[in-house]
Amino acid sequence: MKVTEQERAELKPEVDKLVEKSKEVIRDTFSKYKIEDMAITWTGGKDSTLTLWIIRQVCLEDKIQIPKAMTIDEFDVFQEIHDFMEKYTKEWNLDLEWCRNDDVVKAAGGKLNNIVKVKDLDERNQAELKRIGFEEDSFPFEAESYTGNHLMKTVEFNKYIERRNVKAIFQGLRRDEQSARIQDDYYEKKEAAHLIPEHMRIKPILHFSERQVWKAYKVYGIPYCALYEQGYRSLGAKTTSAIAEPGVPAWEQDLEHTTERAGRRQDKEQMMGRLRKLGYM
Amino acid sequence: MKNVILLTLDAIRKDVLGVYGSTKGLSPFIDSLGDESLIFTKGQTTGPYTQASFPGILTSSYYLDYGKPRGLAPERTLISEPLQKAGIVTAGFHSNPYCSDYLGWNRGWDVFYDSMEDEVEPRIPYIRGDIINTKVSNWLELQVKGGNRAFFLWLHYMDVHEPYMPERKYVDMVDPSLTLSEDEMYDLFENTLLKRDVSDPAKVELLKRLYEIHVREIDTYTKEFFGFLEKLGILKDCVVIITNDHGDEFNEHGGISHDYKMYSELIEPPLLIYGTEQSGEVDKLVSSVDIAPTIIHLFGLEPVPAFKGHSLLPLEDYPEKGAFSEAFDQRSQRGGDIEKDIYCYREKDLKIIYHANLDKWEMYDLKEDQKEQNNIVDTSSAAEELKKRLQPMVRRWVK
Repeated sequence: MKVTEQERAELKPEVDKLVEKSKEVIRDTFSKYKIEDMAITWTGGKDSTLTLWIIRQVCLEDKIQIPKAMTIDEFDVFQEIHDFMEKYTKEWNLDLEWCRNDDVVKAAGGKLNNIVKVKDLDERNQAELKRIGFEEDSFPFEAESYTGNHLMKTVEFNKYIERRNVKAIFQGLRRDEQSARIQDDYYEKKEAAHLIPEHMRIKPILHFSERQVWKAYKVYGIPYCALYEQGYRSLGAKTTSAIAEPGVPAWEQDLEHTTERAGRRQDKEQMMGRLRKLGYM
Repeated sequence: MKNVILLTLDAIRKDVLGVYGSTKGLSPFIDSLGDESLIFTKGQTTGPYTQASFPGILTSSYYLDYGKPRGLAPERTLISEPLQKAGIVTAGFHSNPYCSDYLGWNRGWDVFYDSMEDEVEPRIPYIRGDIINTKVSNWLELQVKGGNRAFFLWLHYMDVHEPYMPERKYVDMVDPSLTLSEDEMYDLFENTLLKRDVSDPAKVELLKRLYEIHVREIDTYTKEFFGFLEKLGILKDCVVIITNDHGDEFNEHGGISHDYKMYSELIEPPLLIYGTEQSGEVDKLVSSVDIAPTIIHLFGLEPVPAFKGHSLLPLEDYPEKGAFSEAFDQRSQRGGDIEKDIYCYREKDLKIIYHANLDKWEMYDLKEDQKEQNNIVDTSSAAEELKKRLQPMVRRWVK
């Protein structure tokens, strides 16, 4: 990422203000929870890395230990993301746990697109499928399909919260990422429900736009995964993320007039899932 | 200039509302708006289910104008688009997947919430009205604080839509003696409703009862929503249009839910316009394609050429015209079978229906035969004329 000193100086006041707001949210959370009851979600993507970086800054400034971090291995991970995360786990001295739904991977014979038979899954995974109203006997193993997304991500997330007794977890969600999030609050309490432990979700960079995220990277020289240089704008599973503009780094693309999540398939699956349950399919 | 709010109630039948003559007391709040509303007694949606009717309501065009639909055709103009261009703040809040961002319904909105990113309860695949209300009230508060630009707000409650699993508090408001468990309710949905099994009248009756309880529920949400407007001091500055996208059938014509049929329980909407200083019943025949032009009129804008309807206001300028609806079988194969299509045209009290795949006609005189039991297509002298009017619309995309 090329940034001139002049550009950095120009951007700094705006970005400082944004980061200050994030730090406020983080410090407020720190004052309410014990370090061991908190966790940070990290995907290696631009939003969660920025979140993690700001939390780390707060910890350095206030001389406290950084909370543990978790990441979900959906079995369809870019090598570049994996390497990037390994590198900074060491460099930043993080306690990072990789969570993977191995039972599903095993039932799929360790290969993407293989058919997973529901009866081959363990009790928890079967119960989870029931919970989301999935009633078929099998499904193809894809991380970002309707069932795959639930088992590989949502379930692993909830299991982690439960296993590590997490009361508060930081997430790198942004309000402008989807119009659906326009109303989101920095704090979102998740009530306990069947297979979901109660916890608080905290979103310190909620107020950043996609453009402002990249401005923060420029101003502070925050490290990022190299895939963004190749033209990816939004990173999910390897087989379902697409390059938005080949060869054009994310921060040089027309972020304001095009869609950030182009190429991500989850939205369609989510919609189809709901329609099925409404009795339409 | 007043703000305009369009409140659409998914799957609500006209005849369950007191303002349209129901004596069951399911909608005390909506009924209380009657005195200050124009109440349209003869209306028709553009189709019997969401996919067929929302193009009518929000784009003033017909379901199959562009052949078999795959999401919202780019050629259509959403009501939000000309409004946004005119500097009016546009906001939509709903939880119907058929009007989601993914299917292209997000054009022209300053704020568009379709709930698709939110977690829903496993058996009830939409966000309930109380949550929608919270989101809307948060937005309204910011909107009111933020200045003086007029706004258009579309608000849609899903709660009357199957699977018909009302919460206990609403059951108690309507029928405390009803003791069905959640599992029993879901069983009725899965094994009676989804299978379209009308063989046991008691079960159909029970489904209708659960449905009616949801009507009471959304009446509560509507009241809460009007409460926000009042609290923010803007109710007097708003015109509120209340309607549905379609109704629901309880074996009036051999089925349940809302499939490709053209009878009044499915396509005759409630339609109220509150807050224009005009009130009373209006018995002109109107269509849901008239709603978007009415909104344009309320904001004092020039008519939008792409819109196929006509503004309902001023009432005296509304022309006498027919109403058209169409649909096809959505359930028999994946993505629907457009070869099983049905068309409907109404003029005054005469309605004609055409099943294209069967080449079969039906006709009813709604004045004499409100339940549409007596097919007069072979005996009515008006049949040929109505057929002629409908025919150009049949399979018009096949060249």
